[in-house]
Amino acid sequence: MKDKVDVLQGTLALMVLKTLEVLGPLHGYGIARRIEQISGGLLAVNQGTLYPVLLKLEQDGSISSEWGTSENKRRARYYRLTRTGRKQLGAETRGWEQTAAIIGRFFAVKAEDLP
Amino acid sequence: MRRLRRFFQRLFSPLTRHRAEERLREEIEGHIELQTLDNIRAGLSAEEARRQAVIKFGGAESTKEEFRERRGLPALESLVQETRYALRALRWAPMFTAATVLTLALGIGATTSIFTLVHAVLLKTLPVRNPAELYRVGRETHCCFVNGYSQQGGFSLVSYALYQHLRDYNHGFVDLAAVPSVQSTLGVRRAGSADSAEALPGEFVSGNYFRMFGVDAQAGRALTPEDDRPGAPPVAVMSYRLWREKYGADASVVGSVFHLNEKPFTVVGIAPPGFFGDTLRDTPTDLFLPLNTEPFVEADADLNKYDVHWLALIGRMSPGVSPSLAEAKMRVLLKQWLGSHRGEMSASDRESLPRQTLYLSGGGAGITSMRERYESWLRILMAIAGFVLLIVCANVAHLMLVRGLERRRHTSLCAALGARPWRLVRQPLIESVLLSLMGGVAGLAVAFASTRAILHFAFPPSSGLGAVPIDPSPDLPVLLFAFLVALATGIGFGIAPAWMAARVDPIEALRGAGRTTSRAGSAPRKALVVLQTALSLALLSAAGLLTNVLQNLEQRPLGFQTEHRLVAKINPRLAGYRPQQLPALYARLHDAIASVPGVESAALSLYSPPGGGWGSGVAIDGPSNAASAPQQNVALWDRVGAGYFDAVGTRVTRGRGISEEDSATSRHVAVVSEAFARRFFGADDPVGRHFGRAPDHPRELEIVGVVEDASYFPSPLLGPALPAFFVPVAQADYTHTAGSLYLRDIVIRTRPGGASTALAAAIQQAAAGVDPNLPVPLIHPLHEQVAGQLTQQRLIARLTSLFAILSLILASIGLYGVTAYQVSRRTGEIGVRMALGAGRAHIVRLVVSGAFALVAGGLVIGLPLTFAAGRMLASQLYGLPSTNVMVTLTSVAVLGATAVAAAVIPALRASRVSPTEALRSE
Repeated sequence: MKDKVDVLQGTLALMVLKTLEVLGPLHGYGIARRIEQISGGLLAVNQGTLYPVLLKLEQDGSISSEWGTSENKRRARYYRLTRTGRKQLGAETRGWEQTAAIIGRFFAVKAEDLP
Repeated sequence: MRRLRRFFQRLFSPLTRHRAEERLREEIEGHIELQTLDNIRAGLSAEEARRQAVIKFGGAESTKEEFRERRGLPALESLVQETRYALRALRWAPMFTAATVLTLALGIGATTSIFTLVHAVLLKTLPVRNPAELYRVGRETHCCFVNGYSQQGGFSLVSYALYQHLRDYNHGFVDLAAVPSVQSTLGVRRAGSADSAEALPGEFVSGNYFRMFGVDAQAGRALTPEDDRPGAPPVAVMSYRLWREKYGADASVVGSVFHLNEKPFTVVGIAPPGFFGDTLRDTPTDLFLPLNTEPFVEADADLNKYDVHWLALIGRMSPGVSPSLAEAKMRVLLKQWLGSHRGEMSASDRESLPRQTLYLSGGGAGITSMRERYESWLRILMAIAGFVLLIVCANVAHLMLVRGLERRRHTSLCAALGARPWRLVRQPLIESVLLSLMGGVAGLAVAFASTRAILHFAFPPSSGLGAVPIDPSPDLPVLLFAFLVALATGIGFGIAPAWMAARVDPIEALRGAGRTTSRAGSAPRKALVVLQTALSLALLSAAGLLTNVLQNLEQRPLGFQTEHRLVAKINPRLAGYRPQQLPALYARLHDAIASVPGVESAALSLYSPPGGGWGSGVAIDGPSNAASAPQQNVALWDRVGAGYFDAVGTRVTRGRGISEEDSATSRHVAVVSEAFARRFFGADDPVGRHFGRAPDHPRELEIVGVVEDASYFPSPLLGPALPAFFVPVAQADYTHTAGSLYLRDIVIRTRPGGASTALAAAIQQAAAGVDPNLPVPLIHPLHEQVAGQLTQQRLIARLTSLFAILSLILASIGLYGVTAYQVSRRTGEIGVRMALGAGRAHIVRLVVSGAFALVAGGLVIGLPLTFAAGRMLASQLYGLPSTNVMVTLTSVAVLGATAVAAAVIPALRASRVSPTEALRSE
C-alpha cells in the first residue's frame, strides 16, 4: 500500500517538474489542472495530495516558491524550477525512458518469440 | 546530499511552524477558489461550484496532516515534548529523583574511581612508542642485588657484564636496555648555586634506554649509547617535572652543569612530560644518568662486578620474531656466559648450573613492581567495588519498579484510551534515560573527586618530589561501563511495570486499581531487598575482617619501642665521604648527638625498623637445621652501633647485644634474631656458635646474643618474621667501598618530657657541628616511620569500610522504600483491620514482621556469600582468617538494627492511620 503511494508520489513529482519546465512558474492549482489535463484522471479526485509533493520538492531544492498574484487578483504561491530541479528532471527523464523502454519490450515479447 | 538537506530543513522546521501552517491554509484556500471560479465558468451555480471544488481537492485535513508529517520530524518533536513532560514529572517527585540520582552518582563514581586506580596500576602500559613490542627478562620483578651465579625461578636481575653479553649477542631484540632495580638517591645542586644539595631520585640507564622506548627529549637531546661509554663526558637527562617545578622550565638548564653527589654533570636534555621511566613508582625518577657513570657517582660501584646482579632488562622485540624463539636464544646466551665463569663459582652454584634459565615476559607496562606489591589489595577493592555497583543496580531497579507500579493506574487509563504499548513504554523509558544521565554526570564529578582523594591518601606527596604518575582523571571506558550498567538497569526496571500494565486488560486493571491487597509486582521488589541485604552482609563482614586485620597489624608486637624514639636520617655519601673517613665521622656524630641534653642514648645503624635490610647467605658451622641448598639459607642483616638494641628498644633474650667492647680489633661477632635461632638451631642455644656469610667462611662471626623478632622490611607484613642478624658498625671492613658502609639512620632515645621540636633542632645543630657539609639530617619520630608503612593497607581497610557503610545505607533505603510503599498500598486494608478492632501494636507487628522476613531471607542467602568472600580475602592476604565469628555476628547485628530502623518508621505511620480516613482514601 505504502509502496504504491510512493510510486504514485514519485510519478507525481516527475510530472510536477516537467510541468514547471514546460510552463514556467505556476501556482499549485495551475500545476494540478495541467496534470489533470494531461494524465486524464490521476488528480481528478484528490488534488490535495499535490501539496505534500510540492513541499518535498522544495525541501530537496528542486523547486523554489514565492508569493505572487494569481489571475483572480489574489495572493498565490508560485513555484519555479531551480537549477537542481532541472538537472534532476533530466536524470529522471532518462531513467524513466529507459525503464519504460525495458518494460515496453518485455510486454511486447510473446511466448512464440522465445527460442 | 539531497537527503541531508531535507533532513536539516525538517530539523529546523519547528521554528517556522506557525508561518508554514498559515501558508498552507492560504494555498489551499486559493486553490479551491480558483477551482470554484473555473467551475462557475463551466456553468455551475456558485454554491455547487464551491462544493465540487472542495470534493475535488479531497480531504483538506488529511492533506494538512501529511504536509505536517513531511515538513518536520514528528518523532523528534514528540520526543522533545515527552522529555519536557518527563522532566516535569521528575520535578513533581523530588525525593524519588534525588534518591535515584544520588544512588547512581555514588555507585558510578565509586566504582569508576576504584577501577581507574586499578587500571593505572595493573593494566596501563608505559607512555612510550608501541609498548606491545616491549619484553622484559624475568617473570617476576625482584629487588636490589643478588650475588653469585644462580637465581631461583630464572634470572631476572643481571650484572653489567651479563647484560653486555645478552645485549651484544642476542638476535631477538632491536634494543635491550638495562636499569637498576632500585633508584639511587642523588644529592643534586646546580653549579654556582648557593643552595645546599637536594636529595632526588635518580636512575642509571643504559645508553640505548631512550632509543629503545622510542622517547625523544622535550628539549635538548636524550641519552645515546655514545654517552654510555667509560670515559665519556658525564651527562644527564632531567625529568620534565623537575625542570618545570624547580627551574621554571628555564631553557638554560639544558647545557648547564649540575653537581650530582658532588660530581659535575652536564644536563643535555629534558625528558618529555608524562614519561616517568621504566617503573611506576610513588617517587618518579628525576634524573637519568648513563650506566657507565655509576662508578663516578657511587662510592660502591656495582658496574664492574661480574657476580653482582642488580640490573633489570627491558627491550624492544624485532618485528616478526617470536618471543619464545628469542627466549630460547637468550637462555643459550645465559648458559654460555655462566659457563665462562665456571671457575669463579662456588660449589653450590656449579651444582645448580644446569637448572639456571631465564624467562621473557611482556614489558608493555614496564617493570611492574608496584603491580606486584598492590595486586592482591587492588583485586579485593575491585571485587568490593563490583559488589557496590550490584547493590546500586538493585536499588535503582527497586526505585524504578516502585515508581512504575505507582503509575499503573495511569498506564491502564492510557491503554484504555487507546495508547499503543510502545507509547506506554516510551514515557518511563525517557524518564529512566534522563535519570541515568543525571546520575552519570553527578557520578563523573564523584569519580573525579574520589580518585583524587584516594591517590592523595594512598601516596601522600612529599615536598619537592614528584607525585605518583597516575592520572586522577577517571578512566573513560570504565565510566562508560558503569554508566551503561546503571542505564540498562534503570531502563529494564523502569519499563517493565509499564510493559506489564500494557498487557493487562485495561478495564480489569482500572477496576482493580487501588482496591486490592494483591501482591502483584511485589515479588521482584522483595527479591531485590533480599539480594541487597545479602550483598550488604557480605560487604560488611569483609570490611570488618579487613579492619580487624589492620588493627592486629597496628597492635602486634613490633619488636621495638616507638615511644620517646626519634630517627635522624643522614647521608654521608652526599657530602663526599670516602669509606676510610667513616669510622671517625660515626664516632663523632654519635658522641655529639648523645651529649645533647634530653637525649638518653643514641646509636647509628644502616637501617632502623621498619626501614629495610640487606640479604645475605648463611653458612652455619657445626650441626644445624640449615638446608642443603645454600640458596635457601638466607637472612636479612643490619649494621648497628653499640647500644643499638637499647636505643631502639628491642629486648635481648639471650646473651648480650652489640656493645662498646666490639671493636675493629676484637673477634667478629653477631647478634641473631629469634627467628634466626629457630630457623637454624631449632631448640639449641645459638650463643657461642659460629656462622659466616659465605659458605667457605663458616666461622666468620660468633653469635653473642639473641634478640626478639622485629618487623624489618621486606619481611612480609602479614607473614612470620624473617631470620635476621646484626653486626657491629665498628667491625666493618672500611678498606673497600661498599654501600652498606654508609649508615643511614641514627636511632635516638629521648628522655621523657623533652619538647620534641626544640630537641630536633638541637640534634640538627649538633650534627652540623660535626661537619657543616653534611646535609641537615631529617628527624622524625619512629612511630611515624612505622605508621607510614601501613598507609596503603589502612587506606584499603578504610575504603572497604566506606563501601560497606555505603552499601548499608543503600540497603536500608531499599528496605525502607519497600516497607513504606507496602504500607501506603495497604492503607485501606489496615483501615479495615483497625475498624474491625486490631490494635496499634498488632499493626506495627504486622508491618515489621513483613520487613523482617525479607531481612531474614537476605541473611540466610548472605551468610554463605559472606563465607565465600572471607575465603577469597584469605586467599589474597596472608594471615587473614577466612571467618571471624565476632565480625560476622556484628555485621548481622548492625544489619538487623538498620532493618528495624527502616521498618519501624513506616510501621508507626501505619498504626496512626485513622480507620475512617483510610477507608475514605479510596
